[in-house]
Amino acid sequence: MSDLSKSPPTRRGFLQGAGVTAGSAALLAGLNQTAKAQSNDPVVIGCPAPLTGIVAADGIEFQRGLEMARDEINTMGGILGRPVEVVFIDTESKGDDVVIQAAQRLLDRDNASAIITGYNLETGTAMHDIAADAGVIVMHSNTVAVHDELVKSDPDRYWGTFQYDPPETMYGDGFLKFIEDLEQSGQFARPNNKITIVTGPGTYSVNIANALNDGAAAHGYEVSLYETVKVPVTDWGPTLAKLRADPPAIIAITHFYTQDQAQFMNQFMTDPTNSLVYLQYGASLAAFRDIAGDNSVGAIYATVIGALQDAIGNGFADAYKARFGATASPNGGGQTYQALHAYAVAAALAGGPGAPYEEDQNRAVAERLKALIYRGPMGTMRIRPDTLSAYSYPTETNDPSLGMPHIFSQVHDKTKDGVLISPPPYGAGNYQTPPWMKG
Amino acid sequence: MEFVIQIVMTGLTMGSMYALAAVGLSLIYGTLGMFNMAHGLFMTFGGYMAYSAATTFGIPLVLGIVVAMVAGAAIGMVTHLVIVRFMLGTPDFGTNVLVATAGLGIVIEDLLLKTYGGYPYPQPLTVDGFTRVAGVTLTYQAMIIFVVALVLIVGVAWLLKFTRFGRAIRATAMNREAAMLMGVKADTVYLQVMALAGMLAGVAGLMISTQATLSPQMGGDLLLKAFVICVVAGLGNVWGAGLCAFVLALLEAAIGFYVGVRFGFPAMLLLVIVVLIWRPQGLFGRERVVRL
Repeated sequence: MSDLSKSPPTRRGFLQGAGVTAGSAALLAGLNQTAKAQSNDPVVIGCPAPLTGIVAADGIEFQRGLEMARDEINTMGGILGRPVEVVFIDTESKGDDVVIQAAQRLLDRDNASAIITGYNLETGTAMHDIAADAGVIVMHSNTVAVHDELVKSDPDRYWGTFQYDPPETMYGDGFLKFIEDLEQSGQFARPNNKITIVTGPGTYSVNIANALNDGAAAHGYEVSLYETVKVPVTDWGPTLAKLRADPPAIIAITHFYTQDQAQFMNQFMTDPTNSLVYLQYGASLAAFRDIAGDNSVGAIYATVIGALQDAIGNGFADAYKARFGATASPNGGGQTYQALHAYAVAAALAGGPGAPYEEDQNRAVAERLKALIYRGPMGTMRIRPDTLSAYSYPTETNDPSLGMPHIFSQVHDKTKDGVLISPPPYGAGNYQTPPWMKG
Repeated sequence: MEFVIQIVMTGLTMGSMYALAAVGLSLIYGTLGMFNMAHGLFMTFGGYMAYSAATTFGIPLVLGIVVAMVAGAAIGMVTHLVIVRFMLGTPDFGTNVLVATAGLGIVIEDLLLKTYGGYPYPQPLTVDGFTRVAGVTLTYQAMIIFVVALVLIVGVAWLLKFTRFGRAIRATAMNREAAMLMGVKADTVYLQVMALAGMLAGVAGLMISTQATLSPQMGGDLLLKAFVICVVAGLGNVWGAGLCAFVLALLEAAIGFYVGVRFGFPAMLLLVIVVLIWRPQGLFGRERVVRL
């Protein structure tokens, strides 16, 4: 047994106090207790993440999430007695070229057994061939349908790359359904039938925008403006002028960069229209409220992978903020946190992680991951066998225990995380008419 | 009509920031004959220094502008004293100094990253509030950006046109050797130009961080646009750079309104191509005749 596993009081204390991933943690701890470690060599997890650049607000959280999961796992005895070590490489919010080099370096130089990250600003398929060639597991939350397509195109080759959240195509339908529910429950009355869609230039944002564009008519909406912005957006003036000239009932911004969304709210609130504002993902980070301040209150945001506000989610969020400060974002950190915990359980169940190019052992871990139903602070991670992406609730399954919830939240207080308002049974509060809208 | 007013307001706000960046870049090129690849980081540095002063001492915007100016001037002077002056007059100066300043930019960016991290901090030196002009919202911050840029650019123009200091700069830019023969200390002039350009960049950084957020990469986009403006105006033409900054920003805003926001910058690039075909020396640049 490793030294790390010889500290039962600490481990017990963790299991009693965390309440975070208690069931899974107990499983891992149990496996560790009965296992005989073959070596004390650390299990290296590589993380290529955008620690600087336009999406650094997320990258920093991905790093924190992994650090927290690493420490918790090591407190429980690591993975079958082997301590977990995480190596980070900054991908600078850049594309495939940088991500590919970073991932390859993590395998060849650092001997990473697996690569676990959040998302990078790549095409969504940058690491698949690296994983296939090296016979290792890659876990990411790029949230792209192109991952699904690639995996389906050659499942025997891409057996090891997991997207541990659902693809972005869930956003479009999910948002329109959310609005329909608000209207049917009488919480929101549309002032007109217009919806404005603002997207960034990336495939991810465009796919969500297109899904909204395609589905709007079925919900009785006409798209009054479909705008593509260039990033970074320093001045929202041209877009806002068009909005104000023809105010829509809904403004949906699928361009997800946190600081750009915050600046949108700052500039929108100088002369707001009677429109509900939906900000895809970016507003889920604390940096959004930090930058937008009072102007953030009332904004609605959604994510297909966000921290729930139940016992497990709140337990994680409290511990996360206690460690990293009040401005830390559990929505970002929880992604990699949950992924590493899930990987640790799967690897322990499979008899230990494999090294790079030990394909047989890594395939065994992959099989365990595919069979795992892992409940963490972001909800349930259950992997679709055909796409190796997580099931989405409620779009793909109506059982909340079998899919990762597509959650909608609203900022009620600029000093606190947004309140989760949908879907049931995870709601922690109700939708409130935004302060700029006419009731 | 409201659209036109909004275009003008957006154009003037963006043009102010472009002008602060482009005038400094053009001044350096016109005097030293070098393209300063670290100019974007001069802006970023100014923005961060003002942020630090504001969060540490709670200074008002006016003092924040002074801090950004001093920080920009300081980094400009250090660049000259540590790098540029050793390369002046060497073969392939233009190419070598381009690489050297690009390297300097990377060092500054990494230092900022080490110090502040990648978190997108909001700039506290932002003035809230707005007024309405003919039905269009005009933020006080946009007005401040325009006024500050106007004051600084007019100030620089006055310095260059009506002072001994300005004459020395112009003389050195026209003919270094002749200026030195007339008693102008060229090395001092270069140092002063780097300080002046850095000062403008520092303020540009502060201003753009009030519109966006602070990040170690924030100067990159503005540097690219400043370069485009300098090429259109004619490299080294300070007056042309100031004018073109506003004209191109207005064009970008107009295209954003009438065609689509995403077409604004491509339109600027298209204009560069057209200008370079039509007038390779730029709109205000002087043709250079090379005698063989």
